Amino acid sequence: MTTAVVGSSLLVDLLSAPRPAEWTSLREAAELRLAGRALPATRDEDWKYTDLKALAAGAFGPAPKTTVDISGHLLPEMVGTRQVFVNGHHAPHASCASAVPAGVRYFPMSHASEACHALGSVGNGAAKGLFEDLNTARFEDGAVILVPKNLKVALPLHLLFVTKAESPVAVFPRLLVVLERGAELELVEEHHGEGAYLSCPVVEVHVAEGAVLRHERVQRESPEAFHLATLKAEVGKGGQYHSRTLSFGARLSRQEPRVRLAEGAEATLDGLALLDGVQVADTHSFLHHAEPGATSRQLHKCIVDGRARAIFNGQVLVAKGAQGTDAQQQSRNLLLSEAARVDTKPQLEIYADDVKCSHGAAVGQLDPEELFYLQSRGMNADDARNLLTYGFAADVLTHVPVASLRRSLRQLVMARTQAGSLGDLA
Amino acid sequence: MLSIRNLTASINGTPVLKGIDLEIKAGEIHAIMGPNGSGKSTLGKVLVGHPAYEVTGGEVLYEGRNLFELAADERARAGIFMGFQHPIEVPGVSNAAFLRLAYNKKAEAEGRDELDPLEFDDFIHEKIKLVSMKEEFLDRSLNEGFSGGEKKRNEILQMAVLEPKLAILDELDSGLDIDALRVLGDAVNKLQRPDRALLIITHFPRILETIQPQFVHVLSGGRILKSAGKELATELEDRGYDWVLEEAAAGGAR
Ligand SMILES: Nc1ncnc2c1ncn2[C@@H]1O[C@H](COP(=O)(O)OP(=O)(O)OP(=O)(O)O)[C@@H](O)[C@H]1O
Ligand SMILES: [Mg+2]
Repeated sequence: MTTAVVGSSLLVDLLSAPRPAEWTSLREAAELRLAGRALPATRDEDWKYTDLKALAAGAFGPAPKTTVDISGHLLPEMVGTRQVFVNGHHAPHASCASAVPAGVRYFPMSHASEACHALGSVGNGAAKGLFEDLNTARFEDGAVILVPKNLKVALPLHLLFVTKAESPVAVFPRLLVVLERGAELELVEEHHGEGAYLSCPVVEVHVAEGAVLRHERVQRESPEAFHLATLKAEVGKGGQYHSRTLSFGARLSRQEPRVRLAEGAEATLDGLALLDGVQVADTHSFLHHAEPGATSRQLHKCIVDGRARAIFNGQVLVAKGAQGTDAQQQSRNLLLSEAARVDTKPQLEIYADDVKCSHGAAVGQLDPEELFYLQSRGMNADDARNLLTYGFAADVLTHVPVASLRRSLRQLVMARTQAGSLGDLA
Repeated sequence: MLSIRNLTASINGTPVLKGIDLEIKAGEIHAIMGPNGSGKSTLGKVLVGHPAYEVTGGEVLYEGRNLFELAADERARAGIFMGFQHPIEVPGVSNAAFLRLAYNKKAEAEGRDELDPLEFDDFIHEKIKLVSMKEEFLDRSLNEGFSGGEKKRNEILQMAVLEPKLAILDELDSGLDIDALRVLGDAVNKLQRPDRALLIITHFPRILETIQPQFVHVLSGGRILKSAGKELATELEDRGYDWVLEEAAAGGAR
């Protein structure tokens, strides 16, 4: 490349921080791939609408060990199943895993590195993303969850990644989830923070044959934060991976879920982004139907207000020989202001012939028939609009399995959709 | 309570109602029957202020006020209710939260106390008994995934919550099984009072055996062609609509 490389100094700065202990060969390989690379620019098709200039202009130091008050984030169903990481470091005093059933390994990686042999192996073969490599090169600690064969874990596990940035810092949350054959687990992964920072989480998920993982992902980063997340999941024969990613915070966020489905596997990849001000939320998903008979469902919803911008790029790849694939994708977007903007693009590549694939994208305003229905029951136009906007978002929350989490998310949606004046809808 | 005089209305520039006259007094039950596409649902939707319909002439007085000066939500709060032929689904809004909100908006307008979630819980449990609805329908999203019959049951539940003065029920009976028809018919009867009125739109005399009207009107081609007592319903069942149309044509020619 002959042009000046935007933000190359950011990567150099981040990599100049000392390399943490352990996983040296993984880290070295990542550093090697990063050498000489630059931050993606909008001339890259994959980053066309997501401008990283503001990120490139920042300087983010290593995140110091610190403590935070997490009492506001505790959920009654999960008080005894929580692991908390603050600024990328495990926070033992804030964590409590006493209710986790025997047999489940649920530790900070720094305590159980021998259990992490699967680290870095999901999606091997496919090129690694830049932010994924950055995480591998510099993550301090992370969580590992191993659920043995046929164990169905009754209580959901709660993972909190909290960032407290007094000056701008970079954090690299890391998570490895391995479900052995027939295992079942519910997992809530939350990201919170205050101050200006860059968070680059990487989540790796192995769901073995017949195993089931339900994964709730809540992004409530600070309004000054950048959140650039990678999720890679491999779902074995007849296994199920159901995830819901809820993006509320961050000035700029990007979700890159990549899921590979083996024969007869099932995946749900739902998403909700609530944006206003000058927020940007980008989802670039990749669903790989690698083998026959797998099913995928994807519903992605955005509510965009102010001058905010939402981007959705949903790639679905049906491999040659993946007969009987059933893939459905929906992107639905609500624009609440003139200056709000959505760019949505389904991207289906189908190399098998006996498949059921559908996709749809809608960008618009509220449905006048729905508005009238509510008005005919006595609600004025503003209340009806606010209620429908709330419902548009809350629809994605209907099946959140943990009651207290569902309630707090609904309250958050109420606050963000001006539905607060309508009383308690949660 | 309601006086409709020479009402005409159109949709997308096409005239649908072509001069309707109808007088409904408190305590009365009226039925409207008529062929498909004759304008029955249109009449109801014009009365409750659906924005797709344009009123092109005539007047409607509701309790002495010009109905068309009121917005749809004001009409609802003033006591007009329509149970729709095809109720709308609203994902993400729980039926219970919606019902409480609707109740409280009306209570507020009438200067009555609003109910908090706990008080409303007791209140709504009485109401769901009235329409024999299972409790789980309260937690589901409003009408989402409800069967045709379940949606109709939910419309009557809303009617029971809002206790309107004038209820227009558009094909309540279509899609209902025999038991549901009886239960909802009884519920509507229980809600009827001397100071309230009902306008029942239907194709079948069966529902009119439970909810017994004093007046039956035949609406065809956007006009009321004939009005008579409740025996007209059974006569229509036996003879169809042709004779009414012929009679009206002969009457018009004379
Ligand atoms: N949105 C619309 N655009 C164009 N024409 C419409 C629209 N809505 C209704 N119409 C027409 O208006 C006429 C009256 O419709 P309406 O729904 O009032 O009939 P109805 O008497 O209720 O019939 P049914 O017994 O089938 O319910 C019909 O010819 C219908 O096609
Ligand atoms: Mg009709």
